[in-house]
Amino acid sequence: MSEMVSLRDVSRVYNQGRPNEVRPVEAVSLDIGVGEIAVLKGPSGSGKTTLLALIGCMVRPTSGRILISGRDVAKLPERFLTGVRRDTFGFVFQHLHLIPGISVLENVMLPLYPLGISFSAAKRRAVVLIEQLDLAHRRRFTVETLSGGERQRVAIARALINAPQAILADEPTAHLDGDLSGELMRIFADLRGQGKTVVIATHDPLVYDNPLIDRVMTMRDGRILGGDDE
Amino acid sequence: MDAQPFARHLKILEFALSSMLRRRVKNAGLIVVFSAVVFLLSSIVFLTGAFRTEALATLQASPQLLVQRTMAGRHALIPLDYSEVIAQLPGVGTVTPRYWGYYYDIYTGANYTLLGITDDGLEAPGSAPLRLVEGAFIAPGQRNVCLIGAGVARMRGARVGSIVSLRNTRGWMSEYEVVGLFKSASQLLTNDLILLPEADLKALFAMPDDQATDLMIEVYNPLEVDNISRKILERLPDTRPISHAEILRTYETLFNWRGGLLLAMFLGAVAAFMILAWDKATGLSADERREIGILKAIGWETSDILELKFWEGAVLALVAFLAGVTAGYAHVFYLGAGLLAPILQGWSTLFPAIDLAPRIEPYGLAVLLLFTVAPYIVATIVPAWKAAITDPDRVMRSA
Amino acid sequence: MKYHILFGLLAAELGLFAALHLHAGTDAERRTAELADTRALVAKLGLTDLALWTEARYTRHPSQADRFAAFQDFPAAIEHFPAGSIIAPPAALRMPALGDAPLLIDGDR
Repeated sequence: MSEMVSLRDVSRVYNQGRPNEVRPVEAVSLDIGVGEIAVLKGPSGSGKTTLLALIGCMVRPTSGRILISGRDVAKLPERFLTGVRRDTFGFVFQHLHLIPGISVLENVMLPLYPLGISFSAAKRRAVVLIEQLDLAHRRRFTVETLSGGERQRVAIARALINAPQAILADEPTAHLDGDLSGELMRIFADLRGQGKTVVIATHDPLVYDNPLIDRVMTMRDGRILGGDDE
Repeated sequence: MDAQPFARHLKILEFALSSMLRRRVKNAGLIVVFSAVVFLLSSIVFLTGAFRTEALATLQASPQLLVQRTMAGRHALIPLDYSEVIAQLPGVGTVTPRYWGYYYDIYTGANYTLLGITDDGLEAPGSAPLRLVEGAFIAPGQRNVCLIGAGVARMRGARVGSIVSLRNTRGWMSEYEVVGLFKSASQLLTNDLILLPEADLKALFAMPDDQATDLMIEVYNPLEVDNISRKILERLPDTRPISHAEILRTYETLFNWRGGLLLAMFLGAVAAFMILAWDKATGLSADERREIGILKAIGWETSDILELKFWEGAVLALVAFLAGVTAGYAHVFYLGAGLLAPILQGWSTLFPAIDLAPRIEPYGLAVLLLFTVAPYIVATIVPAWKAAITDPDRVMRSA
Repeated sequence: MKYHILFGLLAAELGLFAALHLHAGTDAERRTAELADTRALVAKLGLTDLALWTEARYTRHPSQADRFAAFQDFPAAIEHFPAGSIIAPPAALRMPALGDAPLLIDGDR
C-alpha cells in the first residue's frame, strides 16, 4: 500500500526558548496509507489536534519532515501550502465551524468560491454531495436551524467539495449521540470505499473501538505510544 | 479559461453579499450614515458648482473695465472729469458713470443696494430688458419712481404702485413709487436692488453733481483691457481699475469647492466621516474574525479574503454613494437646497430663493468619490488583512 | 443570484439619477432664454456681482471689495483677531427697534 502521509521526526514547539515553551508534538514519525481509516487516540491535551493540523499543512513543523504523497511540504512557502492543503485535504473541525446565516448549499460551496470554476458547476457539485449525505431537503435552510447530526453532515459535505484525497476529522463525534456516531462511521467507511484516506483524532471509544477502523495510534504528551495497540 | 477568473470574482462577490445580508441591521445603518454624509457633501458640490456656473454665465455681460477712485485709502467718489482723461486713451469707447450705494433699512434690518440709472442709460437702444420686469421700466425724465428686487418687495410688502420711502441724508423720508418689480428669475442678481433715476439717487445720498460712484469703460478690443488699465493708472494714480476678468476670477474662486465657508463645511463632514471609517476599521467583531479564520481553514487564501472584504466595502460604499448623490441632486435642484440655505445665508437678512440651473460637477464628484469611497474601502480591508494573516490552525482550537 | 440584485440596484440608482438630471434639463430652453434676458439686464445696469449676501460690502460686492485699501476689507483678508470670525453683529444692527428714529416725510416740516 502506498503512503498518503508520512511524518519523520516531526516536532512542533510553541514559544521556543521562553518560560511558557510548549511542545504539543514531539518527534513523531508515522505513515498513513491511501484508503485507510486511521485514528489518533488520546486524552485532551495529548497533541492530537496539533498533529492533525501538521498533517493537514495548517501548521509548519518546527523540525522534521512531512511528506504528502511522497512530496516534502515542510519547507513550502505559504502560497503553495494553501494550494496543497486545498487540493489534498478536507477538514471536519471539532466545532464544525459552519457559517451561520447562510444556507446549507452556500456553506458547502464555500471552499469553491475562490477557485476558477463557474457558479453553476460549483452548485452542481455541491448538490450531488448534499444528496449523497441525505441533506437534499435541507438545502435552502440556514445551518443554525439544523440538528447536530445534519450539521455534522454539512461539515463533511463541505470537506468533500474539493474532492480531496484525505479527510481529517477532529473529534467528529463530540456533539453526536451513539446512533449518529455509528452513522458517521459508516459515512467514513463509504469514503474509504471511494479510495479516500480518513484520519480521525478522538477520545471517544465509539470511534476507536469501531470495527470499521483500520488502525489506531495512541498519543500521550505529544508522542505516539509504541505501535498499534488496542 | 478566460471566463474562470471572472467566475471567481462573481462568486466572492456573491458571498460578500450573503455576508452583508446576514448583518443587515449593521449594514443598513452604515448605508444610512454613509448616504447622509455623501448627501451633505454632494449638496455642497452641486450648489457651489451651480452658483459658479450661474455667476460666470450671467456676469459675462458685466462691464469690461471699471475704474474706482481711492482717497485716504478708501473707496471714494470719482470726479466726472476723470472720464474725459480716460475717453482720450486709444482703444476706449464710451465712458459711463455708475451711481450706486448701500442703504441700511432700520425697519427691516436689511441692507439694500441702490442703483441710479441715467437718462442716457435709459435711452440706450436695443437693450431694454423688459422681459425680466413686471410692470414698467423707468421712463427717461421720470422722477420719484423706482424698480425693486423680489427680496425688497417681500421685505417691504411692496407691489407695483406701492410707495417705498427711504431716509435721506438730512433725516427726512423721500418717497418713491414702485413702477416695476424685477422678476424672481433674475433675483440672484437683483434681489436686494432698488433702481432709481440717477437724479433721485444723487438727491437721496446728497452726492455732488460732478462726481459718480465709479466709471464703466467700454474697451473695443478685450485683449487690450490690461494695457488700458495700466495707462489709466499712469494718468490717474489715485484710481483702481477692475477688469472683467478679475470679476469673473473672483466668482471662480468664491465658488470653488476649495473656497472659504464651503470648504469649512466640507472638511467638517469629511472629518466626521473619517471618524466613522476609523471606528469601523478598529471594530472588527469577534464573529467576523472567526469567519475569516474559518475561510482561511477551508482553503481561502489571504488575497481571497481581502477580495471578499473589498467587495463588502465597495458594494456598501457604491450603493450609499449613488443614493447620497441622487438625494443631494434632488435637494439642490428640486428642493432649493433648503438644508444648506440657513448656513449659506449667514447674517444676511435678504437671501434669494435658490433656483439654479441643474448641472453635474464631474470634478467635484470625483473628489467626493475619492474622499469617501476610497477611505471606506481601505478601512474595511485593513483590519481584515490583519485578521487574515494569522495561522489558519487557530480556528481548529477555537469554539 | 444576489449579485444580479446588486447590479439591478446600482443600475436603478444610476437610472434614477440620470432620470432626475434629464427631467431637470427639460426646462433648459426657458433657462437659456432667461440667461439671455439676465445678461441683457446685467449689461444695461452695469451689474458686477450676485445679490447673495447683504451683510457687508465685501459679501455683497466681492469683486468690488477694496483690496487696494490700507485696511483690508474682503473675504480673503486675514482676520486679525480670532474673535472677529465668531462674534455676531451688534444687536442694534440686527433688531432695530421701531420708533428709534422719527418717521418724517420729505417736505413735512
